[in-house]
Amino acid sequence: MGSYDPSFAKEVFENVDFGDEIKMCMQCGVCAASCPLSLQMDHSPRQIFTLIRAGKREEVLGSQAIMLCTSCYTCEVRCPRKIPVIDVMHGLANYALKHDFVPRKDTANFGGKFWDQIYRIGRIDEKDLSRRYFFAEGIIEGIKGLLGFSDIGLRLFLHKRIKPLPERKIKGIISLRKMLDKAEKMRGRGGASV
Amino acid sequence: MKYFLYWGCSLEGSGANYLVSLKPVLEALEIEFEEIEDWNCCGASLSYVGARDLAIKVLNARNLALAETQGSYDIVVPCSSCYIQMLKVSQEIQEDEGLKTQINECLAEGGRIYRGNLKVRHIMDVLYNDVGPDKIKATVVKPLNGLKIAGYVGCQSVRPYGEYDSVEKPKIQDRLLEALGAEPVPFPKKMRCCGSGLFMSEMDNCMRLVADILEDAISHGAKMISTVCPMCAMNLEVYQERINKAFGTEYDIPIVYLTQLMAVTFGMDLKKEAALDYNIIPPESILKTAVG
Ligand code: SF4
Ligand code: SF4
Repeated sequence: MGSYDPSFAKEVFENVDFGDEIKMCMQCGVCAASCPLSLQMDHSPRQIFTLIRAGKREEVLGSQAIMLCTSCYTCEVRCPRKIPVIDVMHGLANYALKHDFVPRKDTANFGGKFWDQIYRIGRIDEKDLSRRYFFAEGIIEGIKGLLGFSDIGLRLFLHKRIKPLPERKIKGIISLRKMLDKAEKMRGRGGASV
Repeated sequence: MKYFLYWGCSLEGSGANYLVSLKPVLEALEIEFEEIEDWNCCGASLSYVGARDLAIKVLNARNLALAETQGSYDIVVPCSSCYIQMLKVSQEIQEDEGLKTQINECLAEGGRIYRGNLKVRHIMDVLYNDVGPDKIKATVVKPLNGLKIAGYVGCQSVRPYGEYDSVEKPKIQDRLLEALGAEPVPFPKKMRCCGSGLFMSEMDNCMRLVADILEDAISHGAKMISTVCPMCAMNLEVYQERINKAFGTEYDIPIVYLTQLMAVTFGMDLKKEAALDYNIIPPESILKTAVG
């Protein structure tokens, strides 16, 4: 791991949102020690940053860890170098998915449907989101998924915690989409345009 | 006192008991509020799967722009995820002219602009610093008489900025619980993550997180857990039975919003205003016994 191969690091610094922030990492391990999911991750955030420097492209972009960050901000408030670890993890995940890596299949599916819904109607409608999430793999898988979740769905429904109305678009949906399209085309923070 | 209230998507669905109880509580405390017309989702913590950072910022900047056209009040946010998303953008816009220009170029595509004049604040900040525990205490007619409650803070209501409370040792929720007559129990996992928006798609990984928090609160004597975040409330409450099946535990502890407790102690209707019937694990009998 100790070897240094600058080509992948360069790719990350230039193309991943907030990728350049890891230049400041001093490998102290505070983030790894603070992370609630570090035991479930194949590599801790600190290790991910080492692997980037060592040029391990497949290992980093295929790592489950980059999609297991809950955005809890524990690492971020404790990092002595003030590195926005979450933004880097999310940036890496977004970049990995665009380059045909799928670090966590279910979260990629759920998160993808989540953003689709925002783009489509401007808001999140939880019942519709779960339906689309479960049925992403087809009818049979969808029914199995829904049944597996029916104990929870039914209870939420009985306790008035599922919005009864059908999903509705915000009034400014067209202008919102134009704004988002423009943003996706622009050169963002630490990243090149896609 | 008047504010914008940006309650977000969850409070119209799985977090409905938060919004239902929040509105009459604010009225009782003489807080006026206005909805931001045609607001959109904040993007929460999973949007990165489908969008890059700038688009998520623009999403939030649109809400700020709409509010700024509508008035000049502080924006109060009860959902921790909405809070952090919106606060982040509003702060970065103030600190970074380049980013502000970029965001405004995007907003302009939809005929909007954000000048950067609004303040984004968490509901806890307003309850504690603008209203104050004294006024809240004076509004209480049915105190909780020492009921032991674990005030669970979680992540995004204070981290990363610590705008109104300590990021490592937050105390505001406990002070407010005291104002309602409860006894806040200290428990080390007060700030530990519940899994947030990742719970549904990473259930096996997140159940352990919730089990640890429940165990910690209960073993420190809590009869109930209070929260100010719809994700925390959902993850801590509705998966308890699954957790029991998976780990052989017997958790059955009510999870309530702080605003539900306020509605109860303010003498409001337990269903219509405190929304206790929205809870899946019923808190009603414990609360009735406590207020006597
Ligand atoms: S805490 Fe910060 S400096 Fe330390 S290893 Fe993690 S990212 Fe690097
Ligand atoms: S923000 Fe993400 S990487 Fe950091 S401690 Fe929390 S889960 Fe771990």
